[in-house]
Amino acid sequence: MKWATRAGVHIDRAACAWLIRRHLDPDAEFVFVTDPAEVPADATAFDLRGAELSHHHGDCTFETILRRHHLDDPVLWRMAQIVHEADLDDERYDAPEAPGLDVALRGLSMVCTDEETLQHTGSVFDGLYEFYRRAMLLGREPA
Amino acid sequence: MARTSRPGTPGTWVLLCYRVPREPSTPRITIWRKLRRLGVAQLADGLVALPADARTREQLDWTADEITEAGGTASLWLAQPASLASERDLAAEMAGARAAEYAKVTAEAAAGASRDEAGRRSLARRLRAELRRIHRRDYFPPAQRDHATAAVDALVQAIAQPEAEPIAEPVAEPIAERQEQPS
Repeated sequence: MKWATRAGVHIDRAACAWLIRRHLDPDAEFVFVTDPAEVPADATAFDLRGAELSHHHGDCTFETILRRHHLDDPVLWRMAQIVHEADLDDERYDAPEAPGLDVALRGLSMVCTDEETLQHTGSVFDGLYEFYRRAMLLGREPA
Repeated sequence: MARTSRPGTPGTWVLLCYRVPREPSTPRITIWRKLRRLGVAQLADGLVALPADARTREQLDWTADEITEAGGTASLWLAQPASLASERDLAAEMAGARAAEYAKVTAEAAAGASRDEAGRRSLARRLRAELRRIHRRDYFPPAQRDHATAAVDALVQAIAQPEAEPIAEPVAEPIAERQEQPS
């Protein structure tokens, strides 16, 4: 399937792309646009103004996708808190990891193309998922 | 997407023109808080501005969506002030608003200097979080920023010194010897 989002990907879009590939569509193909009018007819838009999969009622797009697709894995919701704070910084959640991840992503987007950013962040989010999965099983921070 | 301003010409600003229904008041207040948090310059009733970059455009984009969801109307514009002077006034107004916020942090840090160690540490933690919040909406950093940072740092630096004393002591002797030598 084709998915379209705004060019110049940052935390929310990178996390969404990872979520889509891992949990919704393993063969996802991403298109980056600068204007919502450029979204191809056969693509699902996300994190784009006016799109169904976007910010709603104070949620970031990552949270919206989790809700709309009934993904209730608590590990994904823990990651959603970090993505939310890194993206919106509105202190809805306590996520001290967020500012660090935000800076890392902003720096990455300065030296990478959107495709490269998704490639690098794919591994980062795989790692974060594993970290919080183990943390949840152990009930404390894993080594 | 980046600002295309040559020196001597005003930069690009992103403007949000909006109207939110008076009732219900909860979304109206949420939106007002969000805009304040972004540090917007209020140009007129229902018209706010930020210097345009990828982040400010995105943040105002989402705010516009939220206003629409709340039953209001919102449109986003990219614009250049017609003169450098009006841009300077706008920047000065925004810097002034941030300066007042930094000054408040400086005053709070100064007032807390007499607290015990634990009190100063927890105050520093809270004020540093506040500084981070102000930094995020500080587009034209005023001198008060450095004063505030120094005032908060001083709260914990005062703690670090007594702890360092036992390590510093053995060094004291060679220094004293050196002082005896003619310089």
